[in-house]
Amino acid sequence: MSSLVAAPPDATAPESARPIALSFQDVTHRYGSRIALDRLDLEVLQGEVLALLGPNGAGKSTTISALLGLLRPQEGRIEVVGSDPRQAVADGRVGAMLQSGSGIGLPPGVRVDEALSLVRRLYRRPAPLAQIVERADVGSLLRQRTDRLSGGQAQRVRFAIAIAGDPEIVFLDEPTSAMDVESRQGFWRMMRNFGNEGRTVLFATHHLAEADEISDRVVVLNHGRVVADGPGATLKAAVATRRLRFVIDQPDRPELSDLDGVTEVSVCGTGVSIDSLDADATIRDLVGRGVQFRDLEITGAGLEQAFVALTGSGGADPARTVTPTPIASAGVVARDGR
Amino acid sequence: MMDSPGAPPTLSNHRSIHGEADTPHDRWRTRLTPLLAFCQFEVGRLLRSWKFLAITIGFPVIFYILFLGDHTAGKVVDGTVPWRVYLMVSMCSFGALVAALNAGGTRLSMERASGWARQLRVTPLPAWSYVATKVIASMFVVLPVIILVEAVGAGFGDVRLGATTWAGLTLLLWATSLPFAVLGVFIGFLVAPEAAFPVVTGLMFILGYFGGLFNPVSEMPGSLQFIAHLMPNYHQVALALASLDNQTLTPSHWLILAGYVAVLALAIAWKHRAEEARGVA
Repeated sequence: MSSLVAAPPDATAPESARPIALSFQDVTHRYGSRIALDRLDLEVLQGEVLALLGPNGAGKSTTISALLGLLRPQEGRIEVVGSDPRQAVADGRVGAMLQSGSGIGLPPGVRVDEALSLVRRLYRRPAPLAQIVERADVGSLLRQRTDRLSGGQAQRVRFAIAIAGDPEIVFLDEPTSAMDVESRQGFWRMMRNFGNEGRTVLFATHHLAEADEISDRVVVLNHGRVVADGPGATLKAAVATRRLRFVIDQPDRPELSDLDGVTEVSVCGTGVSIDSLDADATIRDLVGRGVQFRDLEITGAGLEQAFVALTGSGGADPARTVTPTPIASAGVVARDGR
Repeated sequence: MMDSPGAPPTLSNHRSIHGEADTPHDRWRTRLTPLLAFCQFEVGRLLRSWKFLAITIGFPVIFYILFLGDHTAGKVVDGTVPWRVYLMVSMCSFGALVAALNAGGTRLSMERASGWARQLRVTPLPAWSYVATKVIASMFVVLPVIILVEAVGAGFGDVRLGATTWAGLTLLLWATSLPFAVLGVFIGFLVAPEAAFPVVTGLMFILGYFGGLFNPVSEMPGSLQFIAHLMPNYHQVALALASLDNQTLTPSHWLILAGYVAVLALAIAWKHRAEEARGVA
């Protein structure tokens, strides 16, 4: 269990000593009657690689738009590198890769190198071209026209544009949504490497695996609120709970509770139901102790299903009431505890 | 080198810039560099899109040539202006309108839908620089159209003017095309790409017809003349013809054209604000 609350792997300084990269204080925004951000509070430290996870309509894009000053929330306060979001953009301290909707989000009719050199000239202190090319892996694309790129190539070029200004923070809104598996893996590496240089990366996704694989911290958003916040492994553990059911002639409750990975045991006659964070370990332990079980059945909470459970899947009852129990039991660190 | 992948975190060695006291010169340089970079990029992009240019420039020229075949050689407009001069000036005005509406309206609308405009919004390029660049780029397309129509007028349209008069006329027509450039950008901001083509085409002919480009305003019925006097093309043509006739240029023409620029610029600003409030754009 101790590994579940481990600090992010690349933490170079004690967290308290790291400056705050961005913060939301009590931020509310509505589109008409629909609430997009519901008194959102969030603080991200410099150097964190944070995944903003949530179903469609959870408020991920609104959060990123607000961080970039593309929209002004009706209530609350947002700071990015200590200033107003727009000031941070104007000062060239942030970079972003937005959802491009139907288009490719690149200027048509020019070559990739022309688009890149334009964007570099918009910043006072851009990153060297060679550095951008290497980080975004666009070396082979420079002479190509932007309207002739494949989906994955276009995303790399858009990443290059996002980092062209040598930003301290980069925001990415579902950057891999249109990619095949292979390009996706490559893209994750790029994002991760960028974050490893001590820069802050915040990306939105609805892929749990993506959030888990590259981020130090996962913030789950639903109905414009933070419903879970912690390292990816912890979150994954929280939602990876499996339920084991089997039959034993004489169930011994204390012994069952002592099994590896077990969080909850219920016994009904000879039927046993166990919730486990690590079904494999629990079963190994059962076998190792020579427990004579039969009719084993494992159900559960696949990641996606658990994620749906976590975010309340848009039911009338917001996730708030559902969430705290599994999260707390799995040791996800609450915001205040960090 | 800085480019090596294993380089240590060099987080913002450049942030020290914020601690330095910027001189006013630096501040201006900081503001203007992005504008110049974007202008250069846009004009270059526009001048290289030869298909677009061929259609945009070719259309009014062909239109003019078709009109030339008309049997109106001896006709006089407004008592003093030869028909052939009126026709050339009108076709310059029409060409400028077409070029500006296409460059601004159609292209900008598509660009905004592609997400590129939004991407630029999250760079240090100020919003006003973006709009200004689009207007400037449109003006760059307008100029060759005017010159080409004039060349056709000199070659086939039987228009004989002195060199300085040609130059003066060109400059006057170009400068007074600014309202069209701003209008084009406004339409690009306002309409979706699917709507841009019909809107641009419709406006082209409505403004052209009511502005008296296909038929002199003086030959219109009274009620239409009232509408014509509100049209920017009418005032552009009136200024050009007055200059050719060595008349004094009536300030009201200038004022109305400037009014168009001001109102359309405000409309663009309004649209921009509205998008910001809704969080689209």
